[in-house]
Amino acid sequence: MSRYLIETIGLTKRFGEQLGVDNLELHVPQGKIYGLLGRNGAGKTTTMRMLLDLVKPTSGRIFLFGNDYKEQREKTYRKIGSIVETPGFYGNLTGGENLRILARLRGQHRKDSIDHALKVVGLDTEPKKVFANYSLGMKQRLGIAAAIMHEPELLILDEPINGLDPIGIHEIRNFLLTLSREKGTTIFLSSHVLSEIEQLADVIGVMHEGHLIEEADMAELHRRNRRYVEFVVSNENTAALLLEKHFGTEDYTVCENKTLRLYECLDKRGEINRCFVENGLLVTKVNVSEEKLEDYFAGLIGGGSIG
Amino acid sequence: MGNLFYCELLKLKRSKILLISFLGAMVTPVMMIVDGIKVHYTDPGKIITLEQMYDSCSLYTMLLFGLIVYVVFAAYLFSREHTEHTLKTILTIPVSKFSFIISKYVLLLIWIIVLTLISWAGISILSAAYSAFFPIAGFSVGIAAKYLGEMLFGGIMMFLTITPFVFLALWTKGLVVPVIAAAAIVMGNVALYNEALGALYPWTASCLLVKGGTAETGYPLSLVTGLIGLVSMLGFMASVIYFAKEDIK
Repeated sequence: MSRYLIETIGLTKRFGEQLGVDNLELHVPQGKIYGLLGRNGAGKTTTMRMLLDLVKPTSGRIFLFGNDYKEQREKTYRKIGSIVETPGFYGNLTGGENLRILARLRGQHRKDSIDHALKVVGLDTEPKKVFANYSLGMKQRLGIAAAIMHEPELLILDEPINGLDPIGIHEIRNFLLTLSREKGTTIFLSSHVLSEIEQLADVIGVMHEGHLIEEADMAELHRRNRRYVEFVVSNENTAALLLEKHFGTEDYTVCENKTLRLYECLDKRGEINRCFVENGLLVTKVNVSEEKLEDYFAGLIGGGSIG
Repeated sequence: MGNLFYCELLKLKRSKILLISFLGAMVTPVMMIVDGIKVHYTDPGKIITLEQMYDSCSLYTMLLFGLIVYVVFAAYLFSREHTEHTLKTILTIPVSKFSFIISKYVLLLIWIIVLTLISWAGISILSAAYSAFFPIAGFSVGIAAKYLGEMLFGGIMMFLTITPFVFLALWTKGLVVPVIAAAAIVMGNVALYNEALGALYPWTASCLLVKGGTAETGYPLSLVTGLIGLVSMLGFMASVIYFAKEDIK
């Protein structure tokens, strides 16, 4: 069996003339948390809908648990739990009744699985409240309960923390981490909030305008995020010329507020400082720093913010 | 299929549509009794028969109000999964789209039969109540039993000709268009019931078939039943194929 629980080859979805997802090559390793990051409209939800067989791909292939997703469809999808955007349930039924419908259709007859799922997400205290009267956070919690109640091997969660309050976010984050670490559940989740992905994911994929523009191990990303030395000088253009002339480097960026970031020759920062001073520059700050992941992703998708 | 049907029933728990459709099924019997009272006072010499009560109730249910009530229920049943965004929850279990839509058709048939029984029971009980205060002729269990069979046959025919409205409900994902279409069809029923051409209009033809009036139109029975079958099959196939091919948003 493939070591990837989800793998796509050339997955593409067109909506008329508009390209929703383009030639996607996803690789979600077994037992890991994979975070799919991207702005609103990047194609994350369409990707998840295709994986869940809700939307038919225009072209490309999907492999789940190593098999084509159309083969042994029932067996495959019984091992998956999912949330796609806001959870959809019957407004006239209670949370327990909604879960009973899902359990019945799955052929899952243990009543304690429903009670357990409701307890895990903290919805066991108001058993008579119907879904239509739930708050947004309660609806999201019920969605999570529905996704986990049959103890799936793979969770596909589209924006799972939407609508949750900070305590709820913390609880669900810890719960997902526990599922992954202790039960080996593979989790494929999407978000447009970088901090959430950063705190949860082992592997990260970045989508932008339908393309997967980055797929990397989180540890590798942290390692790859380059250290730099930052100089605040009286004239950044002169400083740049001096760097090129005396140290032969062009791997720097000129930032706002007379700041210059140098990504190589970090061990020569003392000599560089002396060079600047000897050439009449006033150096007010020399600082070794690490580029934030946020800056890295903003650079990747060409914008100031992810959301 | 059994589980799907059970779940379809569970989904109706606390649902207002049950009360609405029950009240809808009682409208025709109540109107018949109101009409009977009106006739009693405007034309005291005229004696109303139980057969007339059942016949009018059956006729107006099939041609007028019953169609609207059944279309409202059908449109609710098939479009609510879109409006409540539940398809993405149910179909990812996974549930076959074909089984899912068939279970809804089964529930629709059963609910139409139940509403038909409610209309029949309604006119029976109200006629008995009417007879306590006003004269009514031909009061017998035999008449009631005869019209029970006719109304159930009518209910089944209405189920068969309701399939195009199911397609409209799936296509437009709401109640408005199917109900407007049903109102237009009702207008057609009113215009064509006393015309020979009514035999070629499946919703009127169903009523003519149930009441044994197709021979008077001059059109062969095979043509009449063939047209009803064609409309029914087209509506059914369109709804199933559209649902199977549709991307779930």
